Amino acid sequence: MSDTISSMLLIGIGGAGCAMARNITHAFGENLRYVLTDTDAKTGEYDGPFVLIGGDRLSGRGSGGDVVAARLAAEDSVQALDDSLEGIRLAIIVTSLGGGTGGGATLETIKHLSERGIPSCVFATTPFAFEGETRQRNARGMMTLIEEAASACFFIPLDKVVGDPESDMPTAMRRAVETVASGVTLFWRLVEKPGYIRLDAERVRHLVAGAGRGRFAHVSAHGEGRAAKIVDDIRRSSILLAGSGPVTSILCGVLAGDDLRLSEIGTISDGIRETFGDKASFELATVNDDLTFSGRISVIVMLFESTHQETEEPKGSEQARRRRKQRAILSAGPTGRGRFNNSEPTIWNGEDLDTPTFLRKNISLEF
Amino acid sequence: MSNIYAALEIGTTRTVLAIGEGETGGRLQVTCHAEISSAGVRKSQILDINQVTQSVKGVLHEIERKQSAAGSSITIGNAFLVVSGQHIKADPFTGSALVDGRVTEADLADVAESSRTMTLPKDRELLDIADQAYSLDSLGGISTPVGMAGRILKLDTLHIHADKNRIEDAKTAADGAHLEIREPLFATTCAADAVLEEHERRNGALVLDLGGGSTGYAAYCDGYLVSAGVIGVGGDHVTNDIAHAFQTTQGQAELLKTKEASALLGKAEAASARVKVPGSSPLMESRTVSRRALDTVVNARLRELFAVLRETLEEQDLLHRMHAGVVLTGGGAAMRDIDELVRRELGMHVRMGRPIYVDGLDDEDHPAAFAAIAGALAYAHNNYAEKSIFGFGLLKGLFK
Repeated sequence: MSDTISSMLLIGIGGAGCAMARNITHAFGENLRYVLTDTDAKTGEYDGPFVLIGGDRLSGRGSGGDVVAARLAAEDSVQALDDSLEGIRLAIIVTSLGGGTGGGATLETIKHLSERGIPSCVFATTPFAFEGETRQRNARGMMTLIEEAASACFFIPLDKVVGDPESDMPTAMRRAVETVASGVTLFWRLVEKPGYIRLDAERVRHLVAGAGRGRFAHVSAHGEGRAAKIVDDIRRSSILLAGSGPVTSILCGVLAGDDLRLSEIGTISDGIRETFGDKASFELATVNDDLTFSGRISVIVMLFESTHQETEEPKGSEQARRRRKQRAILSAGPTGRGRFNNSEPTIWNGEDLDTPTFLRKNISLEF
Repeated sequence: MSNIYAALEIGTTRTVLAIGEGETGGRLQVTCHAEISSAGVRKSQILDINQVTQSVKGVLHEIERKQSAAGSSITIGNAFLVVSGQHIKADPFTGSALVDGRVTEADLADVAESSRTMTLPKDRELLDIADQAYSLDSLGGISTPVGMAGRILKLDTLHIHADKNRIEDAKTAADGAHLEIREPLFATTCAADAVLEEHERRNGALVLDLGGGSTGYAAYCDGYLVSAGVIGVGGDHVTNDIAHAFQTTQGQAELLKTKEASALLGKAEAASARVKVPGSSPLMESRTVSRRALDTVVNARLRELFAVLRETLEEQDLLHRMHAGVVLTGGGAAMRDIDELVRRELGMHVRMGRPIYVDGLDDEDHPAAFAAIAGALAYAHNNYAEKSIFGFGLLKGLFK
């Protein structure tokens, strides 16, 4: 295993997260470094490196679907992961929200990684509608916290991934795992089998850090006009079009064999940028794997909506101050109420006190 | 006989559970308390019952863990609920009774009963009735009218009430954690009961309970609660303003607020200082901003809050009657230099609140943050101690 590949670690958290991570590693091969962690000792009975968290608190019985118990358990013993983090520069977390450990322990793990200077990219599935409102609420609650804590995150609704409600359960779950795996393994594929346009592990790490909330899709095509077909599928992808804000960065992986043509890369690149805006930062890299992809092209597109990115302004200039103030107003949303958008307003003398005071009072800030 | 009580506070930023124990007629001791970060609460109101249930479970876990570490084991079955939020209002109401010659104890009972006949809308729940002074015919401000001659006896009261649905939400959330709510109590008057000296009530004092989602106030004159309410602006608004001004996450803004910011402008050391804004992820570079800019954002928000408060009190002609000054409670009272800002904005003497009628919180770095929950425990002890064989029946299990 090369040093660059081994600087990335796949972490499966919770029962479902560990199962997904195990499937991904089996499919990808031994070059993928991973660790599984859960509050339930039974999860560790299968193959693979396993870290039991919250053993003292929960005695290895699992969190029983209790997010708080899982968070407290992870707080107690998340340091048990430290041996696995030796030399790690980027962590990819796979988990499932709605239950206890997947949500609660994931959040504490992200925080721990952050304290150690390791950016994290989270792939989290969200429950099927039929799993009930409680699990849905659990998942929604954790999504907000994970989004704030993680460097990058993808929330994958199982209902959308599976699509056909008539699918049998094994087929549905296989499709869910394949979808998550396509996104997760992109990072390893880019590094392990780089094509003519390559990204090394450090560049991948840099792209992930601060990328924010993302969504991704995986499309494939073969035969004549395969690049155009891919662009067409991407343009019609309901998942990619379902964003809540402007796309700030795009990562595109083109996986193909030796027959990949330069013009096809151009078609795919132009199509994606035209569709999702040419103002977003755009990174494209190729993976050359003739054994797997001969005759066809697979493209994985990741779109990110970062709320974290900040560019340095020339200090002190009036223009800079105006720009910062304008950005502050924009970030507060159309009503300027920001996080209080859905709360009962506090109105005083006709003013909405939930809007930042310095905005309403037009107070200049000397940055 | 030892009585045991539990009180729960579901705040915007933290959920607190405390257990108090005291002999009938004696002082109350807080024997154990725990707090964890709240989720699903905004501006002191519950937005996600499930998340709040998880928070309540969390503090119950913590209490159990602490008790276990101390060699005891309890199961808390119910608790008094400390509530806040701008849905809480206070309205005056006057009860009256006809007197036959001289005022008797029976007349006092009649006028007290009359003063409790105020009809609230169906969607409101009564939290408290604070008795004020009596008046007899045209003579007002009487504290003990028994034996005085007159015809019409009146009793002024202040009815504190809340949105019934908001209370129900809190009960539902607690119920999800198998915790029954005994009685909802207004956070600010609880805090006042915990921190105010008797002479302060007599001379006029204002208690400001600076919470995460809202700011409660309770004004006392001549020994009575004369005004109370909640302004829907709290420490979360300061955090939110910082996050918008410096384009940071809420978590980073909270750190800037608590670790760096001052409520005051123009401090000598702040004039040229710069404050580090950490990157929002390990690879995002940190940057610096002017300490003055940070303080400007915080100062603008807090000055506005105190201006609203000042106007509210001036409308009721109360501001000039607060001779004993202001007592600050709540987590927001820990904000750097906030006491000096209140002093300047309201023009009154200011002190930090510290629970004085309840023991066991002296080691806290910031006891003002526990004033409301201490007051709730004191209320339980004062009102229920002699009415229950097992304290208040708060604990389902027995001590081991």
